[in-house]
Amino acid sequence: MAKRLIYPIYQLGNPQLRIFRPTFNMTLVRPGKEQPADTVQFRISMEMTKFDVRNYLEKIYSVPVAAVRTRIQYCTNKKRNHLNQRVKRPDYKVAYVQLSQQQTFQFPDIFPEKEKKHEEGSVEEMQEKFMEDERQRQKPDPRRGGVTEWFGL
Amino acid sequence: MAVCSRLPLQRFLSASSPRLLSCRNVQAESAAPGPLYPPVLPSRSAKSKSAKRRVLLEFYEQLRGAEPREKIRGLTRIQRMKYVVYPQTFAQGADRWYQHFTKTAYLPGLPDKFTSEAEPHQEQEFEDAVLSELRSLVCNALLQENWHMKKGRTFIHGEQKQYVRPFVTNIVSGLVHSLARTNPVLRLSSLDFDPQVNFYWVHGERTIPRGHRSGRVEPQRFQIDDKPHSQIRIPHQLPEFVPLKAEISAEVPVIQLEPDRLPLFRRQYDNNIYIGAKLEDPCCYGHTQFHVVPDKFHRNKLNKKNLPGHIEVFLRANAITSLYAWTGAQAMYQGFWSEQDVSRPFVSQAIITDGQYFSFFCYQLNTLALSSFSTPNNPRKNLCWGTESLRLYERITDGDVIGWDDNVLKLLVQFLLNKPQN
Repeated sequence: MAKRLIYPIYQLGNPQLRIFRPTFNMTLVRPGKEQPADTVQFRISMEMTKFDVRNYLEKIYSVPVAAVRTRIQYCTNKKRNHLNQRVKRPDYKVAYVQLSQQQTFQFPDIFPEKEKKHEEGSVEEMQEKFMEDERQRQKPDPRRGGVTEWFGL
Repeated sequence: MAVCSRLPLQRFLSASSPRLLSCRNVQAESAAPGPLYPPVLPSRSAKSKSAKRRVLLEFYEQLRGAEPREKIRGLTRIQRMKYVVYPQTFAQGADRWYQHFTKTAYLPGLPDKFTSEAEPHQEQEFEDAVLSELRSLVCNALLQENWHMKKGRTFIHGEQKQYVRPFVTNIVSGLVHSLARTNPVLRLSSLDFDPQVNFYWVHGERTIPRGHRSGRVEPQRFQIDDKPHSQIRIPHQLPEFVPLKAEISAEVPVIQLEPDRLPLFRRQYDNNIYIGAKLEDPCCYGHTQFHVVPDKFHRNKLNKKNLPGHIEVFLRANAITSLYAWTGAQAMYQGFWSEQDVSRPFVSQAIITDGQYFSFFCYQLNTLALSSFSTPNNPRKNLCWGTESLRLYERITDGDVIGWDDNVLKLLVQFLLNKPQN
């Protein structure tokens, strides 16, 4: 539901606890290790449970969920700052969500490599051309078929 | 000058003089000389891959000539971390992963033996009498557990133990003893209840990513510990469904990811290989296993959890792993292992039920050499045939079974009538 909130105690006969507009956030991350095609990896708040993750995805985003597995990643408390005090990197919880109905998900490439094209007549473009010509001059004669200059006249 | 005439005549008389030897047998080939130097082998104790390989191959040579008991002991003696494969699992897509681990191709439907049975008319009436007797037996067992006996409510996840397990016990023992007339091998069989079946095998390799052994290549070890509801063991092997070298079109799925992604977890404990009885038991071949679906995996519960697709996946995964473990253990009891592959296929059957729905599976083990030095590109693969879950009855009301399906019972009887060729 929310961080730093005490849930109302459940007693037999109480209606189902319902939360509208939860304050949790879920972050979709690229998996560090190769995952199967139907598995999506999230970083979630430490207070969330597997049931919370399932309901969150199914009710808010209508994503069919088959299985959820979670683990807590402990981050180091060993680093020290300039005052020699230990600095803790915060822990986080990771959820592996398997989609049902044979759906698959592949994390997209967010930073695709694009070819740098400089403007016409700029300094960078002339430099690039000059470097390209230099490199061309350094290459051996293609008519020699890969044989070095050492063998020859 | 007088010619020296006192030269010894022996020289010319002896047949083995060099003069005669050199002229004799010029056309014949000289005997091939034996190796002049001992073979060039890699060291045994060096810190090199070839040394390790030599030690391993010498160990395998030693095992080749040993008794089955010593072979099993030699292969399972050393304990290391291994993946524990559970036949009954919630993991999504488990049947495809398990097919990859056991090199099994799954074929929907049953083999030709069970599907193309052309019964002549004379046997029809005889069959009907036997069938009606068995039908009444099964119906009575069903009504006894669900209707006649007064059973109170159990704890959660206690339904199967209270209603279904006694029912399956009764029908198994009833059917085996009634069909012993028709199928003589059942008279010599051994019916076990709650047996243990264990199997340990090695498949594939991995490079250790971290730790003091990082960078080294180690094999991936697996272990199955299964507890079927009951099983029938016979003294002779069942006939094969398909010849050993036959070409089957179904493919074994290959998964490039490591087993941890399934998820599958590793533990280190005793490596056991057991068929349900010890090595000296005369009933060392398997006939049929019966499995009961636990409450957790019952179709009602899976439907409530929004996992209707997992019902069939669970049944297939259970059948493939249980039968692979059983047939593999039977083969190891006969002295076959990954370097000495099976010379004849090992065949077993399984029936998985949750009380109302029955699924039938047949398994043929063609190879134990999943990744071995002697057969690097093994073309053989194991085969598993299976049906979808077939409903035996619809419901039970007022001492009556409604919606009875005879085909399921016929298939059950056919499975139990399967007998070795004599």
